[in-house]
Order: sequence, then C-alpha cells, then structure tokens
Amino acid sequence: MKKNLVPLIVLAVLAFFPLAVKDNYYMHLMILFLMWVVIGSAWNLIAGYTGQVSFGDAAFFGSGAYAAGLLSVHLHISAWWGLALGGFAAVAVGLPFGWICFRMRGAYFALATLALNEVMRHSAAIAEGFTGGMVGILIMPSFVSKVPYYYVALGMAVAAVISIQWIVHAKPGYYFVSIREDQDAAESLGINTHYYKMLSLAIAAFWTGVAGSLYMNYMGFIDPDVVFSLHDISIMAILVGIVGGVGTVYGPMVGAFVMVTVQELFRSGFFGLFKYLGNVTGSGTIVSIAETITGAHILGFGILVVVVILVLPNGIVGDWPKIRNAVFRTKPAT
Amino acid sequence: MDVFLQTFVAGVLKGGLYALIGIGMTLIMGVMGIINLAHGQLMMVAMYITYVLHLAGVDPYLSLFVAMPALFLLGAVIQRFLLNPLLKADTILPENQVLMTVGIGMVLTEVVRFIFKSDYKSVTTGYSNATFFLGNISFSMALVISFLIAIGFTVAMFFFLIRTDIGRSIRATAQDKDAAVLMGVNTGRITIITFGIGSGLVAAAGSLLAPVFYVFPDIGGPFTARAFIITILGGLGSTVGAIFGGVTLGLAESFGATYISMEFENIIGMTIFVLVLLFLPGGFKRLTKI
Amino acid sequence: MSVMKRALLVCLAIALAMSLGGAAAMADTIKVGIVLPLTGEQAKFGEIEKRSFLMAAEEINAKGGVKGNKLELLFEDDTGKPDVGRSATEKLISQEKVPIITGGYSSSVTAAATAVAQQFKVPFLVTTGSADKITESGYDYVFRINPPASEYPAAVVTFLQEVVKPKTAVILFENSLFGQSSSKEFEEDCGKLGIKVLLKEGYNKGAIDFKPMLTKVKATNPDLVYMVSYVMDAALLMRQAKELDFNPRLFVGGGAGFTLPEFHKNAGDAAEFVYSATLWVETVVYPGAMDYFKKYQAKYKEDTEYHGAEAYASLYVVADALKRAKSITPKDVRDALAATDMMTAFGPVKFVSYEKKTQQNKLPTFMVQWQKGELETVWPKDAAKMKYVFPVPKWKERK
Repeated sequence: MKKNLVPLIVLAVLAFFPLAVKDNYYMHLMILFLMWVVIGSAWNLIAGYTGQVSFGDAAFFGSGAYAAGLLSVHLHISAWWGLALGGFAAVAVGLPFGWICFRMRGAYFALATLALNEVMRHSAAIAEGFTGGMVGILIMPSFVSKVPYYYVALGMAVAAVISIQWIVHAKPGYYFVSIREDQDAAESLGINTHYYKMLSLAIAAFWTGVAGSLYMNYMGFIDPDVVFSLHDISIMAILVGIVGGVGTVYGPMVGAFVMVTVQELFRSGFFGLFKYLGNVTGSGTIVSIAETITGAHILGFGILVVVVILVLPNGIVGDWPKIRNAVFRTKPAT
Repeated sequence: MDVFLQTFVAGVLKGGLYALIGIGMTLIMGVMGIINLAHGQLMMVAMYITYVLHLAGVDPYLSLFVAMPALFLLGAVIQRFLLNPLLKADTILPENQVLMTVGIGMVLTEVVRFIFKSDYKSVTTGYSNATFFLGNISFSMALVISFLIAIGFTVAMFFFLIRTDIGRSIRATAQDKDAAVLMGVNTGRITIITFGIGSGLVAAAGSLLAPVFYVFPDIGGPFTARAFIITILGGLGSTVGAIFGGVTLGLAESFGATYISMEFENIIGMTIFVLVLLFLPGGFKRLTKI
Repeated sequence: MSVMKRALLVCLAIALAMSLGGAAAMADTIKVGIVLPLTGEQAKFGEIEKRSFLMAAEEINAKGGVKGNKLELLFEDDTGKPDVGRSATEKLISQEKVPIITGGYSSSVTAAATAVAQQFKVPFLVTTGSADKITESGYDYVFRINPPASEYPAAVVTFLQEVVKPKTAVILFENSLFGQSSSKEFEEDCGKLGIKVLLKEGYNKGAIDFKPMLTKVKATNPDLVYMVSYVMDAALLMRQAKELDFNPRLFVGGGAGFTLPEFHKNAGDAAEFVYSATLWVETVVYPGAMDYFKKYQAKYKEDTEYHGAEAYASLYVVADALKRAKSITPKDVRDALAATDMMTAFGPVKFVSYEKKTQQNKLPTFMVQWQKGELETVWPKDAAKMKYVFPVPKWKERK
C-alpha cells in the first residue's frame, strides 16, 4: 500500500489544484504540464522501454491535432470528437511509419522518423485544399474557463500513465525491455520483435495523438509548423523523457514539470524576479541582466540541454542516487 | 531542351556545394556512428565568420583560410569536451549523443543571434551576380568557382584518407572501432580530429555559399537535413559517395522543381532518403565499394 | 550554514517578487499590454515594432498622456510560437489586468492570442497579423489596423487594368500563410481581369536555387510575373531572373519582401524597375508618416518600414480610445475603440464590418517601383510621386 502513497498524494494535489489556484496563468502552465506528461510518457514507452528513439513524435501529435481540427472544418462537428478519433488517426499514421522505420536500427531509426515527420509537415503545408495549408485551422475554444481543460488534461494524463504502466508491467513490457537490451537475443528467444515494436509504437502514437487533439481544442489554432515542429514537439518530447529519466516510471512527469517550468522561467525572466529586483533597488545593471536573460532564453534552454546530458545522462529520476549523493555528500553514507 | 539543360546545370552546380557539406557529415557519422544534428549550424558559424571578414574587406574565398581552421578548432573542442565524455557515461540510450548535438546546435544558433540579431546579412561581391553563357545556358560564375573548389577539396580529402597515416587511422576507426583500438589507433584522438575535419569542410562550404546566398542565424537546420540525406545516399564514411550523393540530391531537387513543383523540394529529398534506407541500405558505397 | 541562509534569502526574494510584482504599478499609469516576438526568428520585426511603440508612448506621455495618466507599456515576448503567445496574453490579462492589448506580429500567434482576448473580453488591437480569418471569426473584442493579406494587391489590379493590360501571368509564392493567401487572392483577381494564369507555384522559404523554377517560368513566356516572397528570397529571385536573362513585361512583388531596403541592397541592379504592392512607405501622403520615419531614424540610427508604422499608429489609436473611454475598463475601452475615426501616420483608421470581416480597418494600398535605387510611389495616380517606368527595358538593354 505504501508504494502507492506518493502517486495518490500527487494525484490528490492535482485534483484539488484548480480549487486552490484560480490564476489562469498558472492553470495554463499546469495544462501544458499535463499535456507533456502524456507525450513524455508515450515517448518513454517507445524510446525508454523499447529502445527505439523516435525523433518523429510530432508526426503523431500533428495527426491527432489535425484529426480534431479537420473534423470541425469539414464535418462541422465539435473538435472534441478529435479526442476520441485523434489517437486512432495517429495510430493510422504510426503503423506505416513503423513499417518503414523499424527496418532500421539505432541512429538510422531516429533519422528515418525525423524524415517522415518532415514529409508530414510539408504535405500538410502543400495540401491547401484539405488542411488549409499554412493558413492553419482556427476554431473557437469551447470554454472560457480553464478548469474543464484542466480536468480533461488531468484525466488524459492519468489514463495515459496508468495504461502505459500497466503494459510495461505486463508481458509485452518485458518483451519491450528485452528488445531494448538486445534485439537479436530477443529474436533468438522467439519473440516477434517486429510485432512488439509495432505494438509499442502504436500505443505511443495513440497517446501522443490524443494529446494533439487536446492541443487543438485548447489552443484553438494549429498550423503545420506548430504541430509538426521538430524542435517544439519532437525534441521537446525527447527532452522531457531524458531530463526526467529514460525508462523510469516517474521520469516523464518530473521531466514535463521541469521542462515546462524552466521554459517559462527563462522566457519570463524568472517570473519577473530580476525586473522586480531592478525596479526596487533602482539598479540599472539588474534590469539589463533581466533583459539579457529574457532576450537569450532559447540560449539558456540550449545550455540546459547540453548540461543535463553531460551531467545527468540518465535524467533526474534515473540519476537520483547521484544527485542525492552530490547534494547531501557531507552526510555519512547509511 | 534548353529547359532540361539549364535544370541539369543548376542541379550539378548546387550538387557540388552539397557534396562539400556532405563529406564532413559522412566522415563524422562514419567514424563515430553518431548523427551530428549541429552540422548545418557549424556551417552557419563559418558563414558569419566570412561575413565579418567581408565587412573588414576580405574576399570570401580568402576567408576560407580563416573559417576552416577556426571551425576545425571549434569542432575539435566540441568533440573533446562535449561528445567524447558521453561515450563513457553509462546510459540506457546511446542516442544521448544525437540529442547533445541538437543542444549544441541550439546554443550556436542563439549565441550568433545574440551577437548579430536575427537580421539577414549578405556578402555581396563583384562576382556574386556575374554570369556567362554557353549557348543559351546561363552559368553563375560564383557557383562554378565554388563547384571547382568543392571538387578540389573532395579529391584532396580522398587522397588524405587513402595516403596519410591519420587518414588510414580514420578509415580504420570508421570500419571497425574495436579492431582499430587493437591495432594501436588512438581512437579518442581520431574522433577529435575527424570532427575537426568535418567541421572544417562544412566551413569551406559555408564560405563558398556566402556570396551567392545570405546569412541568418536559423540558416543551419535545412542544411543539416540535406547533409544527412547526402550521407545516407552516399554511404557512411565514403567521400566518393558524398560527391555522388550531393550531385544526386542537387539534380533531384532541380528536376523536381522544373518538372514537378518547387514546393516539393524538401519532400523529394526526404523521400529519396527513406527510399535509400529501405532499398539501398549502405547507399552508393555499396555500388562503388569506395 | 551560509549556503542555507543564501538559499533562504533567494526564496524570500522570489516570494516577495511574486506577491508584489503585480501590485507594484503606480496609480497614475494605464497599462497597455503588447504581445510581440522579441526573440526567435521573427525578432527583427518585433524589435522594430517595439521601438515604434516606445517612441509613440514617449510622445504621448510627453504631451500629458491620457487624461493626465501616463501609458505604461508591458511587452510580452511570444517568441513566434502560438502557445507561448497564448500564455503571454493570459498573463497580461489575468496577472497584469491590462484594459487593452495590442501587437501581434505573426498570423499564427495573433490567431491564438486574439482568441484568448475574446474569451476574456479584453479588447485586442491587432497591429500586423494579416491572415484574413483573424477578423472573420466574429470576435467583437478584436480589431485590426492593417488590411488583411488578401487586400494587399488592390492597387496592382487597377494598375494592370489601366496601364499594362497583360494577357498572361505567372504567380510564384512562398509557402507560408501570407504567400498562400495572397497568391490565391491574386489568382482570382487575374480571373476577373481576364488574365490567363499560366503557372502558379509555391516554394519553401530559404531555397538556394530558383533557377530550375525560373527556367520553367521563362519557357512559358508570360507578360507578368507576380511574386509573393520574403526579402531574401525576393532578392535571389530577381538576381537569378537576371542571370537567366528572363524578360517578362514586368515583375511585380506582392508586398512583404520587395519593399524593404535589404531587398535593394541584396538584389543590386536586379531590383531596378521591379514593382511592388505596398501598404505604406514613408513618402505616402498621410500626415506624420515622414515625421515618424525621420524621428525613428534619428533615434535608433536605422531605417524603419511599414511594420513599425503600424505599431506606431496602433499606440496612437489605443491612446485615442483610452481618452474617449467612459472608464478604463475593458468593456468601455472596447466600445471607445469601436467608435475610432482618426488619422494616423499609417493612414486613416476606422473599424468597419464588410463581407465576412468585422472591425477591420480598410486602407487603400499603393504600388511602388524601384527607380535608381529609390522606392517611389507610382500608383494610384493621385498618390504618385514619380511617373512609373513602363515598358521596362530588357536586362541586356540596360547599361
């Protein structure tokens, strides 16, 4: 029972979060956080557990988002249906994707997924008649309040995490890990590696697609560059996975929280802290430091990537013992 | 017929530059087995070096002699301090290296943006617009020169790899790292040199491209993509393959633009890439054996 | 433990900043929220707009501000991404409680940001985002000062009708929101004028080599080549057209890249005699246009262009609405903004509804031509400063 205590407390805190914090800005960040928990967990399944590092998550995310958007544009039904269909649309894209890419291994697999995502992005931009091209799809969000979106995102995150945990701890999960550790050995043991890789990819694509549909509903606007973005979706998904900890249960959650917070920290100049300090002390230097930081926030982000990979190659959760040792190293080892 | 010939010429000339970009990538990928997603960004840095020197009155072709050593150093430093340590780290996924290069690319882009802002800069020279005609076919002087220089570098590279000790060590490491270590090759040093040479070559491409194109911080991405298409086309570690790959991609883009539509330019490249991975894994190298 | 103490201090400072940050504003200022790309690929234009906003604010505040209250500009960086633009807008509304928001550079960010403003019923005056549908969604809190992308070529159409009378045309466009929507509109215009469109082709921005495409275009031998391109692509297109010795009767740019100083700088003599549609040049007839241009030049030692003028005019429109508003609440400011009828450096501003659009400012557009390295307004006749050069000499006939 004790083992489930931490997740339950976290869940309870998340469930009551909107009651305690009414501020829309923080709600928005929380919704983004939950969305990234879903995408990060999905990526973690295919990359962390199955060892197939995808650089093409945006293809699934975009398919889900476009499924929702196109339903509302062409069939004039609510984009919320996309939540039901977006996942399957992503799977429909994911299966041929896997069929092509799984012939390759390691870095080649990564490159192939990246290339296919680019094909998707350009196709969505060129097929003006169907997708609206670069004009994108604009719908009016259904709710003014963020609370409904928050709970949808929370429900989605819980469902994604539980289902992925379940599969990881079931028989397929062990096959996934055996493929990651040694594909040839797994094959010689009679595991149909192609089937299990496809299964892993399908589940990952499904949840990423659902997250894409939520994005469409919540943001109200998509275009090919936004939802098929290599940097903002595919790489961000990888970062969430790696920063948190590849192949760990809580890694994607920690990663999503850290990445969303850090991104916003840099963008807003530490939530206006420097600007405030500058105004209070009247120091021009601090104000200009604030401006420099916000002006170079992507640089900060890039440096963070480099440093994390260098120092914590297994992520915060994966390298937790290392972090604990470093922080509390004065204490005698127990 | 003129349309066909002009398209052909445009494709081949562009292909020469692509080859130069590709050789650097193919060496790095071949020797280290990692994908350098910061390759185009390294070229971008070289283009800015060319730009700064141009402001000081230095001809872009002369700035080759500054940009190449500078990028060699930068590449060596990246390999030594950022990539090699990852080889030792104990992780589940070897792809951390790939991600590291993404991070490096971001840092390079943003540092340049920080210094030069997002403005477009151009290196316009007297010969940027010069052309000559053979029959009805127009040749851009600058592209012809850069094509010749690119071929020159490639040939030099080829003999460097075949004739010199370092070159042989590089090829040995590319073919079988463990065996190379057993044969007494210091592979750690070889990776550093290789990354340096790869960066230096892409720097040459940058300096040659600068007068006919323009420079801005985000220019790297599309060239990184082209570089890995060329590498996969040509085969890992093959300089001859890179020339074939570069020219093939240049021709494919040109003919695609003329006979299909220019908006498919990137899709054509990516499709070739996936097709080669599927049907000719190993690229042209499998056919040429070099 | 000094480390602990220092950590504690930092925590305290953060807590202080969070609790006081919002309340720090003084009573005698009116906050105006501005969403712009200040970092990322679009930062260049975000910067021009930011400076123009600041310049306008200085001028307005020097003249006593709005009813004695000074304007305080709160810039939020959207980084060119819709989701960031959305959080930036939300932050302005829920944390800073601004009564009005302006800015909005890229269409995708603007679309996302205006939806937020509409939901929270805070007026949003769009400065630049030009996708048609931003003002076609029936938002009653969203206003736009610049014309939608589809209306940019209006002056070109009358010029073609009255002067050139071409029979065939080729349309080349950048595969972007602006390129796709304005090329589509121009194709329809061609249909109305009885011009046969021989080829309509998109390309991806940042292409190195346009020669294959231009060779194909040259082979169709069109009277007119209409291009919707951003500045560097525009320069390359013209340079390579010259290299190929391609001589249609005229080259027309659909705004965007063709009017910027960098275009001329990069295209060199290949830019000569190229026409372009435009919304604004500093030499337009509007009062204050040249003033703005010169002041900007003097202050920042750089040239400005129409995006800057849009921003500069936007703040004057905002100040005017705030002056007339019954109270500084979003609702009253919105009503005041709807009743705007004024002249700015960017032209007359009045928000009207027509066809599917609501609260859209309607502006005449102009046609300009590069002549001896200067961008001259040549059409319509009543606004022309110089006579247009037509027919245009062939490349080889030029010295």
